[in-house]
Amino acid sequence: MLHNVFAAITRFATEYNQFFTDGLKYVGAGIAVLTGIGPGIGQGFAAGKAAEAIGRQPEAQGKIITTTLVTAALAETTGLYGLLVALLLIFG
Amino acid sequence: MNFELTGPLSDQLVSSLVVIVFLGIVIIITGIRVGKLKPTDTPKGLLLVFVLFFEAVLNLIKPHFSGKKLKVFGPYLTAVLLYLVFANTVSLFGLKTPASNAGIAACCSIMTYIMLRFANIRFKGIKQKLRDFLGRIWYMFPIMIPINLIGEFSTPLTMGLRLFGNMISGLVISTMVYAVLNWVAGIFAGVFLHVVFDIFFGLIQAFVFFMLSVVNISMATEK
Repeated sequence: MLHNVFAAITRFATEYNQFFTDGLKYVGAGIAVLTGIGPGIGQGFAAGKAAEAIGRQPEAQGKIITTTLVTAALAETTGLYGLLVALLLIFG
Repeated sequence: MNFELTGPLSDQLVSSLVVIVFLGIVIIITGIRVGKLKPTDTPKGLLLVFVLFFEAVLNLIKPHFSGKKLKVFGPYLTAVLLYLVFANTVSLFGLKTPASNAGIAACCSIMTYIMLRFANIRFKGIKQKLRDFLGRIWYMFPIMIPINLIGEFSTPLTMGLRLFGNMISGLVISTMVYAVLNWVAGIFAGVFLHVVFDIFFGLIQAFVFFMLSVVNISMATEK
């Protein structure tokens, strides 16, 4: 049992080379971009509520669209952080 | 083009300078023509465009600022909007988007930050500002002071990073698509790429930066 664990650790240490780290960088970038889920939900929620509001009050359309654009861009920020982390991992 | 302060002149800085010079010339010409215009004349051509633009901007920021504040902060906000509208769509002319350099995006947010602090000092007073750090209930101050301090510095950081992130994402995605395609397919793909990433996102980000500056500065001036 313990022998197997030691064998696994030594095998990991021998295989831990430049290619391994380069590959893991791309895996990390892929995981970082998963933050896109959050803005997707947030922006969809904001857009849905805006559509509801316009349906209820069509005369306030201009103000509602302005507010929706601003809040949608606010919700986008967390996704952009994930993107920046991914870019830093790949190019940095 | 060799004036090195620190390091070489980046592509984005060159396109930013192009935008600034272009806007400077256009605005000086418009200013001279506005000066010659009589109150009874109707504006035409370039003047009409500028009059309509400034009226639209004024209608947007009027509900947030009252009286003297409009005169103090209106010119800065209009200038930021005008610069960002041209800077974010400049890649249609073959230049790189200025805001895809983190430094230039940070410059915009740092200017807004300076205006925020100026608004605090001029219209709110340092005493009231320091009292705001404590929060509504004074004995909660050990928790509220760190939160408020983080809030102070997160505003310019997020505003700059939002602008930078949007612009660099457009640049990266269009570069990746162009790298894959040959030039015939690239022309057809470029139509959609530039419409979405330069015109649509660029104008929306310019408007969002402007709107957030308006909201933040008007919140900073309130007592």
